[in-house]
Amino acid sequence: MSELLNTLMQDARVWQGHQHRSTSQPAEPTGYQILDNQLGGIGWPRGALSECLLDNSGIGELHLLLPLMQRLSHNGKTVFWLNPPHMPYAPALAREGVNLDQVVMIHTDEAGDFLWTLENCLRSPVTGLVMAWPGKLASRDIRRLQLAAEAGSNVCVLFRERRYADQNSPAALRLELEPGDNQELKINIVKRRGSWPGQRCALAMAQRADLAFHEAPRVIQGPWPASTR
Amino acid sequence: MLWLYLHFPHLLLDHIRRTREEAGALVIVEGSGQKVIQACPEARDQGVHAGMRLKTALSLVPELGTVRADQQQEARILEDQARWLYRYAAHIVLVPPDGLMAEIGSLKRLYGGLPAAWQTVEQALDERQLTAWPGLGHTPLAARLIARAGKGECTDDKGHIQRTLGQMPLLAAEFDARTCTRLQRLGLNTLGEVFALPAAELARRLSPETLARVQKIQGTRPDPQAPWQPPHQFRQQADFVQEIELSQGLLFPLQRILTELEEDLCWRQQETDSLLLVLRHRHEEPTRVRIRTSGPEHRADAFLNLVRLRFEQQPLRAPVVSLQLSVKRFLGREADTGQDLLGETQDLNEAWHTLMSRLQARLGDQALKQLSPQADHRPERAWSASGVHRNNRPAGTTANQLPRRPLWLLQGPQPLTEAPIAWFAGPERISGGWWDGHRVHRDYYIAQLSSGQLAWVFRDIREGWFVHGWFG
Repeated sequence: MSELLNTLMQDARVWQGHQHRSTSQPAEPTGYQILDNQLGGIGWPRGALSECLLDNSGIGELHLLLPLMQRLSHNGKTVFWLNPPHMPYAPALAREGVNLDQVVMIHTDEAGDFLWTLENCLRSPVTGLVMAWPGKLASRDIRRLQLAAEAGSNVCVLFRERRYADQNSPAALRLELEPGDNQELKINIVKRRGSWPGQRCALAMAQRADLAFHEAPRVIQGPWPASTR
Repeated sequence: MLWLYLHFPHLLLDHIRRTREEAGALVIVEGSGQKVIQACPEARDQGVHAGMRLKTALSLVPELGTVRADQQQEARILEDQARWLYRYAAHIVLVPPDGLMAEIGSLKRLYGGLPAAWQTVEQALDERQLTAWPGLGHTPLAARLIARAGKGECTDDKGHIQRTLGQMPLLAAEFDARTCTRLQRLGLNTLGEVFALPAAELARRLSPETLARVQKIQGTRPDPQAPWQPPHQFRQQADFVQEIELSQGLLFPLQRILTELEEDLCWRQQETDSLLLVLRHRHEEPTRVRIRTSGPEHRADAFLNLVRLRFEQQPLRAPVVSLQLSVKRFLGREADTGQDLLGETQDLNEAWHTLMSRLQARLGDQALKQLSPQADHRPERAWSASGVHRNNRPAGTTANQLPRRPLWLLQGPQPLTEAPIAWFAGPERISGGWWDGHRVHRDYYIAQLSSGQLAWVFRDIREGWFVHGWFG
C-alpha cells in the first residue's frame, strides 16, 4: 500500500500544497522557454490530456504548438488535426517547416465517431500529437479520453471554449489563452500536475504575421525569475 | 509418369458443410427439387440415400437441410480445390464435375518419396474437411478408374496397379453402355480379360474407339492432358443453407475465407489493398462492400477487423443467401525496411497502415485528408487535399520562399463586420485566374480586430471587405 502511495507522490498525481515537486512524467518541451519554466521546466505532458481554453481562433494558439509540430513531424511522428474549425493552410504550415507528409486531417460527423477516432489515434505508436476541437464534451467523455491518453505516450491537446475553465476536468494541464494588446499570447495556467496553478506569462506572437516591432517577452507574474532568451 | 487422381464423391456437400457452424443432415436435390442426388454420411446413417424422393427423405429426417444442385457452382468449387492443389503439384488437370488429377511422379524427390507426397495431399484434404478418394496410376485413365472405384493405394508398383485394374469389373471401367453390353455378351466380366484380347481383333470386332480407350488405360497409346493454370485472382464463395440475418453470422465463414486468402497471398508472396465482398440476397440486388486498406496487407485478422468495423457501421439490408469475396488487385510484397538489426524499433509503417485502415473503415474514405501546397497565387487554390498515403521521403528544405500566410484559412471569405482596430501590413495585391474563369483580384491586409484576433482581410474589386484567414 505504501508503495502505491509513494508512486502517487512521485508522479505528482497527489497534489501536495506545501511543496513543489518536479514530476517524473514524460513531457515534450513547448519550445518557449518562458512557458517551459512556468510549467516546471518540462512542457506538454505526454500520455495525458492538455486543454487550451480560448474564445476565438487567430490569437496565436497554433503558434503555441508549432515548435512541437515541427519537431514531431520531422521525427517521423504523425500530427492529427481532428475536426479543426477552419482549414489549416498548407502553404503556411510548409513555410513554418512542418513536414506535411506527417499531417493528417480527420473530419468526423458524430460525437461517437469523434471519441472513437481520438481514442484510436491516442493508442497508436505512430501518433506524436493530436489536436482536437471537440465542441461539447461530457466530463465522463474527458475521463475516457484521459484513460486513452495514458495508454499511449503522445501529446493530446483539446481546444475548448473559455467558459469551460470553471468546470473541473481530469486533464493534466489546462491553459487559458487570451490575446494581449501587442499581439502577444497571454497564458494563464489553470491547472498543472505537481504544483500550484495560477502562474501567468505572455509569449510574443507578433512574428506570426511578420509584424515590424519585436518586443521582448515579459513575465508578468511567477515564482521563477524571467530567464534570458 | 505417375498420376494422382482425386475423386470427390460429394464435393458440394462438403463445401456447404464447412461453412456451417452447426452440424446436421444435408442432401443435394436435383434441379426440379424432386429427387435426392447426394446425401451426406449423417443423412445416410438415418436412412436417406441417393435416388430417393425428397418427400420420403424429409419424412425420415424432418430437419433435413436441402441444397439444389447447380452445375456452375460445382465447377467453381472444383476450381477452388485445384487452386490449393496447385501449391503441391505443378501439372494439374480438372476433370469436371468431381475430379482433379495431378502428375505426382516428378514430385517424389521433392517430398522425399511417394508416401510423403501422398501424406501431404491427404493432410491438405483433411485441413479443408474434404472427402476425397485418391488413386494412383501410370496413365490418367488408370488413376481415374482406380480412384472412382475407391481402390486407391499408395504404391507405384506397375504390377500391383495392373492387377488392381485387371480385377476391376467392366461396369466400373466406364465404357459406354453399348460397348459394355457387347463385351459382356462376349463373356468378359473384368477389365483384365479385355486387356488380354489381341489389339487388332478388338478394333475390328468392337470399334477403334474401344481399342483406343483400352490402350489409354494401359498406357500404350499417348493420352496428353493440358495442364490447368490458376487464374490470377482470388475468389471464394460461401453459400448458406439458412439465410443469415445478422452481420455477426457472416464473420464466421469470412474468417475461413480470409485465412485461405492469407495462405494464398503468402504463397504468392503478394499483398493486396482492396477486397470486394458481394452479399447476395434472395429478393434484392446484391450488396457490394468494398474494403480498402491504406497500405498493402495480407493478414487475415487485420482484414477481419476492418470487415467487422464496416459491418458495425453498415447493417445488412436484407438476409444474406451467399457471400463472395474476391481480390483482383495484387501487389508485390515489400521487404520491411523499418526493422533494424536487433528488431528494436517497432514497425511504424505497419502501425501507420493499421491505424489509417481502421479510421477509414469506420469514418469513410473521405474523412481523412492530407494537405499539400500547390503552385498558385490564389489563396484558395494554393493548397490541395488528398487521400492519405504513406510517404517516407525526408521533408524537403523549401519553405522560406513562400510568402507569409495565416495558419487558418476560412472555408470561404467571410464578410468583415467591424472596423479593425489596428492595421499592420498591406496591401499585397493578388490578381489572377483569368485563365480558368475563377478570377481573383484582391488587396490583402493584416489587421487586428477588437476581439484580439489577427486577421487576414482583403478588399476585392467591388470594394467589399472580407476576412479570409486567421493568424493562429
